[in-house]
Amino acid sequence: MEEQAEMVGRAFVDHYYHLFDSNRASLSALYQPTSMLTFEGQKILGADDISSKLNNLPFEQCKHIISTIDSQPSSPTGGIVVFVSGSLQLPGEEHMLRFSQMFHLIPGAEGTFFVQNDIFRLNYG
Amino acid sequence: MAMDPDALAKAFVQHYYTTFDTSREQLAALYQEGSMLTFEGQQVLGSQNIVHKLTTLPFQQCQHSITTVDCQPSGPAGGWLVFVSGNLQLSGEAHALKFSQMFHLIPTQQGSFYVLNDIFRLNYA
Repeated sequence: MEEQAEMVGRAFVDHYYHLFDSNRASLSALYQPTSMLTFEGQKILGADDISSKLNNLPFEQCKHIISTIDSQPSSPTGGIVVFVSGSLQLPGEEHMLRFSQMFHLIPGAEGTFFVQNDIFRLNYG
Repeated sequence: MAMDPDALAKAFVQHYYTTFDTSREQLAALYQEGSMLTFEGQQVLGSQNIVHKLTTLPFQQCQHSITTVDCQPSGPAGGWLVFVSGNLQLSGEAHALKFSQMFHLIPTQQGSFYVLNDIFRLNYA
């Protein structure tokens, strides 16, 4: 079960940050009305508001570079917690920002997962 | 009985790291047989193995100081996700290590919580 969690975690992380960096608006498909995001301490509820928050972050472009991905099964019903650390490159900025993020993924239809919980923090030096 | 999630998270975090810093073996009470720890990428399963891992880390004394605590409910079973960042000072080291950690807390029948999922990562500069 741990191996499957690792596989799902990696696949999800690849997909999530690829979308974030290339087509941020399409991230909304990964959240549902009950999803929660805490972004640098700010709490946001529901796919619409989460999508709005992410679309309105103060940069047009960005690139996530992932350093570590750790995943574990979170429940007997197939949930998975994924813990990510990495760097965020913003255009025009000389230094990358370092961040940590955790996702709690819940299985949806046909082998898909949606994000029930999402917590993001920058790691200041 | 609804408890303020932020108060719950702060209380847990304080208890966890105080226990870690003063009597590490007593962390056993916070884990169960099905608990999982991923410590710097190493997977450890079950309370006994987890406590063994934590009590044989290569330092005698340490002090955690917590910078951020974020908390969200994890689902209908009453669990909580707690996301922590902070500093870890080891005795004799000039500089504190920065770390991030997430806990998934599950309610027990006695009205307290145990750690089902625990993921720890140092944040390298």
